[in-house]
Amino acid sequence: MNTLFALIALMIFPGGLFVLFAGLVYEWADRKLVAQFQNRIGPRVFQPLADVIKLLAKEEVVPVGVNGFLFMALPIAALAATLTAALYVPVVGLAPAYSFRGDLIVTIYLLSVLTLCIGVAGANTADRFSLIGATRTLTQVFSYEAPFMLAMLGPAIMAGSWQISEINAYAASKPWLIIPQVIGFLVALVGLMGKLELPPFDAPEAETEIVAGAMTEYSGRGYAIFRIAKDVELVIGLTLVAAFYLGGIGNPLEFLLKTVVLLLVTAGLQSLFARLRIDQTVGMWWRVGALLALLNLLVLVGLRMLGWLGVWL
Amino acid sequence: MEKSEPKKFVVPIGPQHPALKEPGHFEFEVDGEIVTGATARFGYVHRGIEKGAETRSWIQAMYLLERVCGICSHVHATAFALGAEKLAKVTVPPRAQAIRVLVGELERLHSHMLWLGVAVHEAGFDTLFMYSWRDREIVMDLLEGLTGNRVNYSANVLGGVKIDVDDKQRDDILKGLEVLEQRAQYYLKVVTTDETFLGRTRGIGTMTYEQAELLGAVGPTGRASGVKRDVRVEAPYAAYPDFPVNLITDTRGDLEARFVVRIKELFEAIRIIREILDKMPTGEIQTKMPRRVPEGETISRVEAPRGELLYYIRSAGGDKPDRVKVRTPSLCNWGSVLTTAVGHKLADMPMILSGIDPCFSCNDRAAIIRRPDQPAQAWDWESLRLHGIEYYKR
Amino acid sequence: MKIGALLGDVFRSLFKPPATERYPVEKKPAPMRLRGKLVYDSSKCTGCQLCAKDCPCDAIEIITIDRAAKRFIMRYRVDRCTFCAQCVESCRFGCLDLSNEEWELASVQKDPFTLTFGSEADLEAFLAKTTGAQPEAETKP
Repeated sequence: MNTLFALIALMIFPGGLFVLFAGLVYEWADRKLVAQFQNRIGPRVFQPLADVIKLLAKEEVVPVGVNGFLFMALPIAALAATLTAALYVPVVGLAPAYSFRGDLIVTIYLLSVLTLCIGVAGANTADRFSLIGATRTLTQVFSYEAPFMLAMLGPAIMAGSWQISEINAYAASKPWLIIPQVIGFLVALVGLMGKLELPPFDAPEAETEIVAGAMTEYSGRGYAIFRIAKDVELVIGLTLVAAFYLGGIGNPLEFLLKTVVLLLVTAGLQSLFARLRIDQTVGMWWRVGALLALLNLLVLVGLRMLGWLGVWL
Repeated sequence: MEKSEPKKFVVPIGPQHPALKEPGHFEFEVDGEIVTGATARFGYVHRGIEKGAETRSWIQAMYLLERVCGICSHVHATAFALGAEKLAKVTVPPRAQAIRVLVGELERLHSHMLWLGVAVHEAGFDTLFMYSWRDREIVMDLLEGLTGNRVNYSANVLGGVKIDVDDKQRDDILKGLEVLEQRAQYYLKVVTTDETFLGRTRGIGTMTYEQAELLGAVGPTGRASGVKRDVRVEAPYAAYPDFPVNLITDTRGDLEARFVVRIKELFEAIRIIREILDKMPTGEIQTKMPRRVPEGETISRVEAPRGELLYYIRSAGGDKPDRVKVRTPSLCNWGSVLTTAVGHKLADMPMILSGIDPCFSCNDRAAIIRRPDQPAQAWDWESLRLHGIEYYKR
Repeated sequence: MKIGALLGDVFRSLFKPPATERYPVEKKPAPMRLRGKLVYDSSKCTGCQLCAKDCPCDAIEIITIDRAAKRFIMRYRVDRCTFCAQCVESCRFGCLDLSNEEWELASVQKDPFTLTFGSEADLEAFLAKTTGAQPEAETKP
């Protein structure tokens, strides 16, 4: 029976199929909100699903000059990594399917696998737009990854645990962690946008310059899988930030409300800014983001050592 | 990747590329993200319009030439009509000339708003793109109500205009301008204060006054570099002598200056439209134009939204033009793009390209590329004809 | 110098209905002067052929049934027409006008693009002669 539950958890709920569809719904919500901010109508609810079905039905063109195995395997690896990450995160407010000490670090690494896969996929092809896109993707990884990680460690340090479920429980039992850690929250949220290459951090796939960046050569299945992987990552990222900073996630309603509020904020940020050039992105993250996150962390560590955390202790 | 010269990494943009709404081909040599060389190639939408005009009557040719460009169609028809009327020694009634200017300035509003949207889209600022195109809809509706068409208004006939402005339309236009002026103020504020957007425009694609003069930049592109050149001011045509235009220039020459100049031209256009509606001359809107135009040749210059537009028209006395030569403003501005591109980042290229408000179909007149083995750029008619025959044999 | 100069507008549009027109569902009334499909009044026509001559795109053809009795029909190619209204200007007798009601002219077939105007008797006479092609007949009330 144990294996059966494990299989269900992996394939259907909360991992697997459920997260896939949740990802598509969140992609729709994101596009709809951005459209609303831009005074447009936006897509209909099944549009992301229709896109994916169409892409899956299309012929997969493997361009000349690529390593065919890598070309096929990289999207699958990316999706597998994000789906695995979903197992450690309290999606829908349920306890994570799997949990162990230190799963926070594993999850953050699993989330980075997607970006790495996209980078490698771009570098794999001989197309110039892909190559430039890959360079930019990988450059951008180095800029936001460290601040994002530091921002995620803030709540972990306050909770005194590296286990997502424990941090979630801790955050739920105390006043919202966003109050003492506004900086950490902002860095985490903006870092998430960087991870997902949402505007204004979409230089790696800036369509007016390099078409679709690293994914230019992907047409059918590979592109669909990359897109689903990104959508899944959106859900996981929003869940993590909501669980850590917005007072934890205990039930489905809480999950829905908090992630949608976060989505509203990210959609607003997406529509507010012009695209940053890659040098501006890197500059901004290292000059502002990383320093703020580090400062935030140092202050937290100091306060914790001195025992001045008050109600949050 | 380039195999013959492994050091050069060439990024091709176009003929089909998301940044280009019309076909054109650019090759940027890059070193990392920095552009070290740029070349351009045009001619993908050559339609043979000049030749086509020779086979049509004067009336038909005007509608054909109106379709050189889909955005600034009215100025093309105006330039041709003014030239043909000059050749035929026809005096167009002042009310018709005022209406020509009125439609021309409305067109300038719509063209600059369109450019604003496209240019900020190239910078990835899609929200402003959506807003500016939403507000452009106001002026499109005004043009539709005034002329009956949203693009290619066909407001001109040889010898006057087709449409008159009545009181209701006057009120509609004034009401629409009210909103547009407010929005233009807002856009000016956004493009000059938003930090992320300034990061993409300030100091990017800077063209000095000397460069602009040397490269022959025209229109808002040149005016942003301090070139005091505007046909409406230098050689007022149609009703511009009665409704003088204030020249708008900037000295900085970068992309920000081009944004500022174009948005300020929106205010100027709004002011002129208001003045025309206020002091609209009374009288006829058409005069009789002969079907045969006396022999002669003339040059007709007008200020298109993108810069100076020049028509050379020759008549052999028949009912068809003998020769029409069009020189469009976009063609004059490409030199500035290729020169200012070098040294900038690849990410800035779409912005610099769109900074001159390029109109690719305007470019496709005829281009002769001088090769080292060809001493002169001058081709006579016969050699051009033979070249054409040879070209299409392949 | 500030970040997010659009903030006000972006925030306000959250509570605004979209500016997009839901076109096929809701239609805006066409302006008075909108140039739609050409309409022809055969009773005023003198068959001078000026409209056909001046048309920049060969969209008009005036067919004479009986010149003495002033019976003409017009064959009009909507797919060629650029709605420039030159024919309306050229006609000295005011028998041409561009409708502002019929402007949704898209079609998946080519046949509906060729229209023939004229009085019913003339049309029948004309159609009887041209047995091959059967263009959609339309009469002006």
